[in-house]
Amino acid sequence: MTYLIRGKVALLIKVVVVALLASVLLLLAQSAFAQREYVIAAFLAISVAILALTYLSKISIPLKFFIPGILLLTAFVIGPILYTVAMSGFNYKTGNIISKEEAIVQIKVRGIEPAPSGLSFDIKLGTVDGKPAILASDINTSEYFLSTLEGRTPLVASSLTFNEYGVAIVAPNFIPLNETEFASADKIYTGARFVFDDQFFIALEGFEAGVVSQQVLEFVPESDQFRNLLTGDVYTDNGRGNYALADDQGAILEPGWRAPIWFENYSNIVTDPRVREPLIRVFIWTVVFALLTVLTTFALGLLLALALNKAIRGRRIYRSILVLPYAMPSVMSILIWGGMFNTEFGAINALLGTDIAWFSDPNFARVAVILVNLWLGFPYFYLISSGSLQAIPSELMEAAAIDGANPRQIFRKITLPLLLQILSPLLIASFAFNFNNFNLIFLLTGGGPRNELDGEIAGATDILISYTYKIAFGSGTQDLGLASAISLIIFILVASISLYSLKKSKVLESFA
Amino acid sequence: MKTKRYGFAGVFAAIALAVSTLVAPSANAATEIVVWADESRGPNLTKVIAAKGDWVSGYTVKVVTFSSFDALKDAFDKATDASGPDIVVGGNDWVPTGAKSGKLAPITLTAAVKARFNPTQFVDLTYKGKLYGVPVDINNVAMIYNTKLVSSAPKSFGEMVSNYKSLKASKGLKAGLCIAGGGMSWGAHSVFSALGADAYKFNSRGGIVYGRSFTATTFGKNVRKYLMDGKKSNGFFPATDTGCKDNFLAGTVPYAVIGNWEWADYVAKGFTMNLMPVPGVREGTYGKMFGSVSGALLTTFAAKHGVESGAKSLLTNFFASTDGQVRYQAIEKRPPAEKGAQADSTVTAAQRGFGSSASLAGIPQIGAFLNSNKGGANYWDSAPAYWTAVLIDGKDAVREASKLAAIWRANTDGGKGDL
Repeated sequence: MTYLIRGKVALLIKVVVVALLASVLLLLAQSAFAQREYVIAAFLAISVAILALTYLSKISIPLKFFIPGILLLTAFVIGPILYTVAMSGFNYKTGNIISKEEAIVQIKVRGIEPAPSGLSFDIKLGTVDGKPAILASDINTSEYFLSTLEGRTPLVASSLTFNEYGVAIVAPNFIPLNETEFASADKIYTGARFVFDDQFFIALEGFEAGVVSQQVLEFVPESDQFRNLLTGDVYTDNGRGNYALADDQGAILEPGWRAPIWFENYSNIVTDPRVREPLIRVFIWTVVFALLTVLTTFALGLLLALALNKAIRGRRIYRSILVLPYAMPSVMSILIWGGMFNTEFGAINALLGTDIAWFSDPNFARVAVILVNLWLGFPYFYLISSGSLQAIPSELMEAAAIDGANPRQIFRKITLPLLLQILSPLLIASFAFNFNNFNLIFLLTGGGPRNELDGEIAGATDILISYTYKIAFGSGTQDLGLASAISLIIFILVASISLYSLKKSKVLESFA
Repeated sequence: MKTKRYGFAGVFAAIALAVSTLVAPSANAATEIVVWADESRGPNLTKVIAAKGDWVSGYTVKVVTFSSFDALKDAFDKATDASGPDIVVGGNDWVPTGAKSGKLAPITLTAAVKARFNPTQFVDLTYKGKLYGVPVDINNVAMIYNTKLVSSAPKSFGEMVSNYKSLKASKGLKAGLCIAGGGMSWGAHSVFSALGADAYKFNSRGGIVYGRSFTATTFGKNVRKYLMDGKKSNGFFPATDTGCKDNFLAGTVPYAVIGNWEWADYVAKGFTMNLMPVPGVREGTYGKMFGSVSGALLTTFAAKHGVESGAKSLLTNFFASTDGQVRYQAIEKRPPAEKGAQADSTVTAAQRGFGSSASLAGIPQIGAFLNSNKGGANYWDSAPAYWTAVLIDGKDAVREASKLAAIWRANTDGGKGDL
């Protein structure tokens, strides 16, 4: 009975399962490689090798149990942390997203300008002597010519055949492309410069139109510079992910690229008042919010647990009702509470007979946030407090009562200290969770209210993580580098506070 | 034993490689142009493009539909060389960030193609002098009035306020005018501008006249006069758009600014085409009704996929053509952007109604302008705070208007170079 399937069959099943898993990972590796995500591709390939080595050899039995967890931890925890660390050292924001090579290609493309004359032609694609050519028509001026990459040949109307719109489609020595050749010709003709005159060329804008254009920006690879051929301006790499004019660093060419700026994002947090000042305010509120949430939810949960710890009629029903807020998806609860706090139509104002602008006034908004989080969080502490109360030996309370202690003294001197010893890790975990309670803030207040008219950047209820989200993904400029730097600071803060608290509560020692 | 182990390794390697090869995606054919669109436009574009298969000779067009406009934007923000589309049908405000980040590619239209559109529509899709797509449809707002509450179109802002005050008690009105479409910045721009704070005035050539825009003192005084009773709101104009649509449909608000994308909901409730711009403080003047175009935007992925010319041809042959827009808007039911399509007999009354309201007093939403943090502020993000500060918090209407004007000025000075 120990093994349902054993022997060769089991071995074969194992090989097949591992092979199928490896095939999926190889497929993903292949896809990642095709998208030039080499680190991901390498990780997936190494994972396949590790899985094969672990499960198809007898290298280590414990490893067979640990390896899936280790790989998932690496992929979804360690990887993102390392990526965040790396990105925090880059100028990585709207306008500086792509690589330098891609940026150079695109600046060259954008460096092509239509001629001041605005001339354009209806064109027909084809070849002359096997080389790419266009048959160009200006139906307004009846100007026709053949243009190749080497030269331009004027044509007279009498030598041409026209379609119903007056566009030339057949000319001597010109072999037009047929429909099936268009797609394969795209790469050849796109970007080709068909001769117009000494200064201008014809650039394709689709298969039917050519626009007389000129190259305004020229890349000089030797000096890593862009040169404006009309004004003579020279744009050099400013070391921050853009080509900029030497005497006007604000005059940059777009797009830029991700460039390393090392610790600048971190120093901006300290030196840039537009980053520092809102961040300090948000940090203070984040700590207050997390502390108040833990205190209020724990207090209410414990109170209810104590109340229902005694045998009273209908205790099971009460217990079931109290767990309901925890059973409901928090997203739904938050949205419902959001509606109930609505100034004009909300149930709260209707019940109280008030017209409080809950989400427009900073203090009321903060109260609303704490109240909603109390609703969401107390069942958790009620449940764990209930369980912990059962775990405290009743003999201790009985002995104290015999010694003359009153119920308040028993709670203060025996029950609460023992409870805190048991619940300390959970209280610390709750603090850490609420420090990053993005969902509540995002869905209930969106971080607001914010007085934009007075130049406020962060909202009154923004916590660090929601503020970071706005920096990373808000409207206007998205600064992923700065957001990464703030994320790391949050990580260090939460980790430090948690470690300190755990150490103080000596929880780690009891696990040792 | 060794032979056995090699045997397992062989079985493993064979199965793994065989399966991965079998399910490996084949490379995209270079004859396919991929278009991304949202849940509304996607299915309709699929139908229209499939019905006439030769929009671009030698190419097939594949339309990928996303579950929502936000999902489409999110996917486009994360698109890579391999996964990205050749053309994306998106909002005009995608242009500045898409261009800056190197995801959108410029296109130069011939004079003949340009002539098919109102020049201000190109302003919507332009960033630093380069055009990044072609206008597809118009998203605009207009004011609707409930003829069961008010018998005729108001001639001035003051007339609307008077009507509200006289009907408030007898009809149980919850507000006089509210914003149901476009939010408290773009949607409410019609009220801002009706009361004197036009974010940008245009000259006849489609250029912005910066010096004549946003007069804070006039605007603030008008807010005091028409929207306040002392330091409190007189109830005519709510500070938020919450509940506006429901209240209008319930007959408790006589005037509402609505978006053309929601017109069907009003028709379903029996409303007819009583559309107009928000009237100004003087008879015969009107607030500027916000309107934007959605664009078919060329991406830089098209060049990487080797279909750039094909994609440009699809933009001009289908998206920017009368034929293409007539066929598409016949089922999408938005006001078409192209002039020939606007004049087509298949255009519905709603499409025309919004179109005429916009043409009487319309402004484009320009993504590159007033919607960035240039100058350290974002006008459109800040505008709703004005209504909160004045109508809810009771702050001084003129002083708060001056603050908003300062943001407008900083944002304008910083951002106008991006046009």
